[in-house]
Amino acid sequence: MEFPLLSLITFIPLAGALAVLCLPKDSRRAIEAAALAASAVSFALSVWLYFAFDRSTAAMQFVERHAWIAADAVKVDYYLGVDGLSAPLVILTTLMSLIALIASLGIKERFKEYCFWFLILEVGMLGVFESLDFFLFYVFWEITLVPMYFLIGIWGGPQKEYAAIKFFLYTLAGSVFMLLGILALYFKADPHTFDMLALMKIHGTLSFRFQVLAFLAFYFGFAIKVPAFPFHTWLPLAHVEAPTAISVILAAVLLKMGVYGILRVNYCMLPLGFEWFLPILVLIAVINIVYGALCAMAQNDMKKMVAYSSINHMGYCLLAIAGVSATGFSGAAFQMINHGIITGALFLLVGVVYDRAHTRDIGAFGGLAAKVPVFAGLMSLSCFASLGLPGMAGFISEFLCFLGAFPRWKIYTAVSVLGVIITAAFFLRMIEKVFLGPLNKRWADLPDMNTRELVSVVPLAILMVALGIWPKWALDMMNTTMVSLAGLFK
Amino acid sequence: MMIENVWLVPLLPLAASLVILFGGREREDSPMPFVGIAAMAASLYISLAVIFDAATGAAALPFEKEWLWYSFAANLGGQPSIFEMRAGVLIDGAAAVMLGVVCLVSLLVQIYSLGYMHGDRKFKRYFAYISFFTASMLGLVVSNNLIVVFACWELVGVSSYLLIGFWFEKEAPPYAAKKAFITTKLGDLGFFLALLLIFTYAGSYNLVRLKETVEMGYLPPMVLTLIGLGLLCGAAGKSAQAPLFIWLPDAMEGPTPVSALIHAATMVAAGIYLVARCYFFFLASPIAMETVAWAGLITAFLAGSMALVPYDIKRVLAFSTVSQLGFMMCALGVGGYTAGLFHLTTHAFFKALLFLGAGSVIHAVHTNDMRSMGGLSKRMPWTFLTMTVGCLALAGIPPFAGFFSKDQILEKVFEHSPVMFAVLVFTACLTAFYTFRMLFLTFWGDGRDHHRVDHAEESGAVMTVPLMILAALSLVSGWALEHGHAFASFVGSGGAAGHAAEAAGHAAAAGHAINPMVLAAGVTAGACFFIALAYSLYAGRDFSRAQRLKSLFQPVFDLLEKRYGFDAFFLGLVDLADRIAVLCRWVDIEVIDKVFVDGWGLLCRVAAEISHLFDALFVDQAVDGCGYVSRDIAGRGLRSLIARGQVQEYMLYLAVGVSLFAILK
Repeated sequence: MEFPLLSLITFIPLAGALAVLCLPKDSRRAIEAAALAASAVSFALSVWLYFAFDRSTAAMQFVERHAWIAADAVKVDYYLGVDGLSAPLVILTTLMSLIALIASLGIKERFKEYCFWFLILEVGMLGVFESLDFFLFYVFWEITLVPMYFLIGIWGGPQKEYAAIKFFLYTLAGSVFMLLGILALYFKADPHTFDMLALMKIHGTLSFRFQVLAFLAFYFGFAIKVPAFPFHTWLPLAHVEAPTAISVILAAVLLKMGVYGILRVNYCMLPLGFEWFLPILVLIAVINIVYGALCAMAQNDMKKMVAYSSINHMGYCLLAIAGVSATGFSGAAFQMINHGIITGALFLLVGVVYDRAHTRDIGAFGGLAAKVPVFAGLMSLSCFASLGLPGMAGFISEFLCFLGAFPRWKIYTAVSVLGVIITAAFFLRMIEKVFLGPLNKRWADLPDMNTRELVSVVPLAILMVALGIWPKWALDMMNTTMVSLAGLFK
Repeated sequence: MMIENVWLVPLLPLAASLVILFGGREREDSPMPFVGIAAMAASLYISLAVIFDAATGAAALPFEKEWLWYSFAANLGGQPSIFEMRAGVLIDGAAAVMLGVVCLVSLLVQIYSLGYMHGDRKFKRYFAYISFFTASMLGLVVSNNLIVVFACWELVGVSSYLLIGFWFEKEAPPYAAKKAFITTKLGDLGFFLALLLIFTYAGSYNLVRLKETVEMGYLPPMVLTLIGLGLLCGAAGKSAQAPLFIWLPDAMEGPTPVSALIHAATMVAAGIYLVARCYFFFLASPIAMETVAWAGLITAFLAGSMALVPYDIKRVLAFSTVSQLGFMMCALGVGGYTAGLFHLTTHAFFKALLFLGAGSVIHAVHTNDMRSMGGLSKRMPWTFLTMTVGCLALAGIPPFAGFFSKDQILEKVFEHSPVMFAVLVFTACLTAFYTFRMLFLTFWGDGRDHHRVDHAEESGAVMTVPLMILAALSLVSGWALEHGHAFASFVGSGGAAGHAAEAAGHAAAAGHAINPMVLAAGVTAGACFFIALAYSLYAGRDFSRAQRLKSLFQPVFDLLEKRYGFDAFFLGLVDLADRIAVLCRWVDIEVIDKVFVDGWGLLCRVAAEISHLFDALFVDQAVDGCGYVSRDIAGRGLRSLIARGQVQEYMLYLAVGVSLFAILK
């Protein structure tokens, strides 16, 4: 038997969660150590995955397959594997989880439960990206839901219950439709199977009407996660109410599950439905980009602004996918990683200022750059990365997104480019209002970032510059898979 | 061979900027600036060696060298495959000249800044930014890949943002920095779209390959025109062409040496250089060429007229830069490739000189307002002398540098269109007027604000020596480079666009040409006349005559002071965007979230209530009803009817029942 790398990456956090559960509530040190160790080992293994990953093949790698439920009526496998689309997302997940966990060390109340739910959440997210069996996929997908509900509902802000229930119900509604889609595909396949790779091969036998209906069922489930207009309103609320680390996870990883699903399921399994939906998808992408950016520009709350900027950035992914080209898919895949890193850093930094000032109102600050230069520098760097400044990771991926969509949707892409300047406008305005100008006397003794905060943000800052200068590190992993994806129906 | 190492030219200052930024602590006597100066000197050395090698024929131009940067999956020719993005250097005559100019000006600015910025709280950081700024510009100049050009282009934008807003503790600089960034970014949208078009239709970003593809005629004319216009948009943003010039006057909020750098070598030169670098696109599209010419012409005139009214010494210079950039753009548009680049080169020297001179003045009197100056010639002789050289060069008086390059442009423009020529000649006369208006207001007569002027002292050698070097260059560079067509033949040699450009120019020349001697004499006479006019209006102790003239043409002055309303227009645009944004926020919260999402929730709850009511009223009542029926009606009724305690009766019922079953079976 081969070394079960993916299983270890996925279930070491589960072991950590169980360990945390067994520890007494008062021994905070031990809980911290157990949680961090589990997350760190998982990350270390995914770094191994990065180096061991074969960049020359588009096939699934590190495959593990065992029968799980082997009844006569249903056959479900424990079936894991990654390719150039999912492997980077796995690495992103373990990285962002570790960083978010470090950022959570400041949590005071009910820390044990927090760590438990956090690690369960990590298991779910990793499983979604690795599963090659639809049943398993659905199980992991739902696993992410419950911890998120508690993490927002217990450790969130003033409106936490409302935000948590809204997130939960909205996503659950989506996944019910997704379940319908899964069952529909299962019964259409002959012999019946949940094997996702096998299901990618049956599209020839599926009628147009079936594909459209199944497409809509899956799309509804995934679009809520992305989030695509008009299913996006849970996001700003959930972000604002969630504790900092959870916002990071939400933006960096959870949203990617939606884009990943659209690519893996809607595009690969239902090509006719996909083709039929394209004109709508591109329109939604443009709305996400321009409307999301405009909404962000009108916000006074820093966190809400970053949340809406996520909607804008995920719009680039959708636009790229709508381009149905290898370039576009590369752009979308790379944009997912970069958005995770950059927006993750932005949420961490907003958390830093909120912890100190207990406000996120952009108008309440002024002139902070003179007072907290390190914080100002990191925040400006992240903002510039987010607005797609060349030399930073976001530029390459945004550019690939536009380049991928342009040949097919010239006018739509040209309109979307407006999103770039609106993004620049609201980030620069935020920088100006918060950091520049005369120092607001209210913050005369604001302390700069502490070690814990630096440890969580600086690696991300380094990554966003490194991937911008040398995108090869990420793109080489994806290229072969993207070529094969784009050639799937040629 | 030095040209092999030309890639070091942008990387040395880049490395220097990182060393300065992260190395050592912020101190007044920090040695870090010397790291930047040393790196710049090394870059200058390499650039000059490259120019020397190329001029003597030791190195062949164009020189190209590239490396693999990254690869991505792309659909080329409809087939998905892996595309290799290569990046490297491409040195032609124009690039070599630009390298020399940028390095030289940047070096002088940095040395000058040692004096100017002395004692600033962020002394070290300033030098880090300047090095980074120069590195970005040099990267833009050498790169052979349009994506890298665009990347450096944006980095130039960011560094200008950092430098314009350098004194961010004040109110105005951050605003000016943001304005500059957003305005140039607006132009960059066009550049960005052009890049998308280029890759979609030509499948490459390599300048050499693109030139081949375009010259083979593989691209449809419509696409070429769109690409040209897109590139022009980008260039208009960076090079402050109409109507995107609104950021440049505000950019004066930065430290004055930065203004010198922006206006002479980096940033605003980038736009002109981009058009020159991508000249083959423009040559392939007459519409794009014509648009470039008109954009330049309009900018030259508008900015030239706006420079007539301000009293802020730096704003006069800022508008004059815009106007001169218009000259260059116009030259490129009419096919005067070398003329445009020639003016770019000479202008870099005398504009850097003028700004550094203005900085020296501001350093001495602590104000930008020329109404508080006057009579400074005695107190600051070196500054006065060098600035006079700069003014003569800018006004185009022979034998100073500006005369030669402006003359070449006018010649080219006359061949193209006499109307444009007339406008440009008039603008050249305006140039002479506002340049000397500034000189007279600053240095002539007696000090108007004794408190300031009497305490003014000549700046130290660290500031005046760069002025003298630049003055020497402004004096000789025009004549020396014009001599024997040295500049033309160098820039044309192996130029990415050179030969074809000259060919286009010559084709037009068949129509009409002007006698160079007549042109030179006429323009010089015109300039002298306007200088005399400026003298009569502004050289006196007060300038009451100018005031009277102003009241006579009040509406014109108002229009000029309002900058033709362009600022108001763009501010209105921003305001509109803000309103739309607020509307979007409202729609998002009140309509999409409250009505659609929460509406669904409400609908579900109403449905739940209804089904609860239905449950309680009908289903449950029906159950209870059944109970009632079976207990109270059926039970009691039947019992009273048939259950009367007669065993025989029961037996009878039983027998009937059994026989019924038997029959049914």
